[in-house]
Amino acid sequence: MAIVSRRKIYALALIACGVSFALALRLGAVSNLTWNEIVQLRLPRAVLAGAVGMGLAVAGAALQALFANPLCEPYTLGISSGAALGSVIGISLGSWGLVWGLAPPAFLGALVFAGVLYFFALRPSFGNVSLLLMGVLLGFFGTSLVTVWLALSDTNGLQSVMSWLWGDFSRARIHGAVLALVLNLGLTFLIILRWRELDALLTGEEGAASLGIDVPAARRGLILLTSLVIGVCVSGAGMIGFVGLLVPHWCRRWVGSLHLALLPLAAIVGATVMIVADMVARVVARPNELPVGVVTALIGVPAFWLILFKRNLPMQEQVR
Amino acid sequence: MSQSPQRLRVRKLNHCYRDTSVLKDVSFELKTGEILALLGPNGSGKSTLLKRVAGILPAPRPHGQSQSILYYGLDVEAKPHSWRASRIAYVGPEFISAPYSFPLTAEEAVFLGRSSLNRGIFSLGSRAVHLAVADAMRRCGCWEWRARDLASLSGGERQLVGLARAIAQGASLLLLDEALSKMDLNHQVRVGQLLKDLAAQDYSIVLVSHDLNLASEWAESALLMNQGRVVAQGAISDVLTEAHLAELYPGCGFQVRPSPVSGAPKIYFPQK
Repeated sequence: MAIVSRRKIYALALIACGVSFALALRLGAVSNLTWNEIVQLRLPRAVLAGAVGMGLAVAGAALQALFANPLCEPYTLGISSGAALGSVIGISLGSWGLVWGLAPPAFLGALVFAGVLYFFALRPSFGNVSLLLMGVLLGFFGTSLVTVWLALSDTNGLQSVMSWLWGDFSRARIHGAVLALVLNLGLTFLIILRWRELDALLTGEEGAASLGIDVPAARRGLILLTSLVIGVCVSGAGMIGFVGLLVPHWCRRWVGSLHLALLPLAAIVGATVMIVADMVARVVARPNELPVGVVTALIGVPAFWLILFKRNLPMQEQVR
Repeated sequence: MSQSPQRLRVRKLNHCYRDTSVLKDVSFELKTGEILALLGPNGSGKSTLLKRVAGILPAPRPHGQSQSILYYGLDVEAKPHSWRASRIAYVGPEFISAPYSFPLTAEEAVFLGRSSLNRGIFSLGSRAVHLAVADAMRRCGCWEWRARDLASLSGGERQLVGLARAIAQGASLLLLDEALSKMDLNHQVRVGQLLKDLAAQDYSIVLVSHDLNLASEWAESALLMNQGRVVAQGAISDVLTEAHLAELYPGCGFQVRPSPVSGAPKIYFPQK
């Protein structure tokens, strides 16, 4: 528990976050924007990307501890799909479906899908592999319904499909972006307040119970909080995978697995990674724009493989 | 805490998994400063009993009126989890066999023992917590590996870390379920001495083990279980008899002789 070196890591992460934020304002499809145009076009995007990256990384870290499974994250567990489904249904049903570029019904979708997952995860026969497969199935189910719904209800259906299923910050408006940032900061703080429960859950369900944690209550509270965070993220930017998976693992390597140290760093690094990913998505194929989820997936898939093979977790679990 | 020498009083405890009844009217008492060996064949309900006392297995509903687990006269199952965890610590085989998918150093694992005690958000760096963790790890002889990852420790080393965690938890009733089984002789002797020291400081310890000869060396009393019922309880030399063993392990023909060194009853296999 070397506190001093931790401070250096936080400082470095904050500096990186600031630099990437400044670069995100500077770089884009067009190089000679006025200050006003930057504030109108690029500032909301960068703020939203930071808010979403922070939320996804914190939710990923919490879900990994919650299910004691290093492959968990909003995307692999299908909760993001639920939120996307809620968003598109809400948007097509009424004007209340989109406020300042955010879609409130995303919360409902995330809660419903997380509820289904929670219901199954409670059964004692449900191991880590089954949980993950269940999440993948839920994800497929959700994204298929999103596609069907948009094809049937939206005039420019396929384009919307791209933006919801692969992530897109172009809908960002400054009010919505700031609101998302405030909400995610608040929810992150509430999750950090539950650091004791998350820490104890690292030793498994029985371990946590023996350490004096009310496991069912902790799970309910944390599922609710993470679902709300995912709702904020998806409502603003659609589904973006792998940030919630990889950032917590990177951060654990630097500051360990105890959540009072891990979660704040994951929040900062998550924001940085997402701002950079969005910048790459905007710049790399100028004047076209890549969906940001493609960028995170291209980095994330090989890294996911590495974790899978290095830790070899699913195999161990089957034996147990 | 000197209300009564009976630290733990379990009365008529019953427990079922689905339709199978694994604990049938189990009653026993544990004095302050006592080391109790909980013995019995596989499936006799030892682990279930410990998990109920530790609060890991919830009390069945509807709660039988007559059954109770009393800690100095207070109903354990009616108290909050954190109240229980600061009095009763449990180290089970799960701590050894868990896959540990996340990097966790031995020191951090022991720190987790403070989960129910750490209130403030700054207790991670607090000096008092650090000292409690370091003290527990030194007592168990695992301080040297404090920076090593739990996943890289052997079974016996993890067991020492588990014991340190239980001590750091601040509880004075330790429930050890096969918690010494993978230690080498060197560590077994060291931990046995540690358990005796703890008992002298008014800790109470319940020791589940299949190694009867080891258990008889450290425990002064024993509780014998078979098929969910208590067969015998009392001083270890009264409980560990050939008659009881013939009942628990029929057909094995074990013989019991006092150890020439310590006088504790030892089991001998019959002649080939």
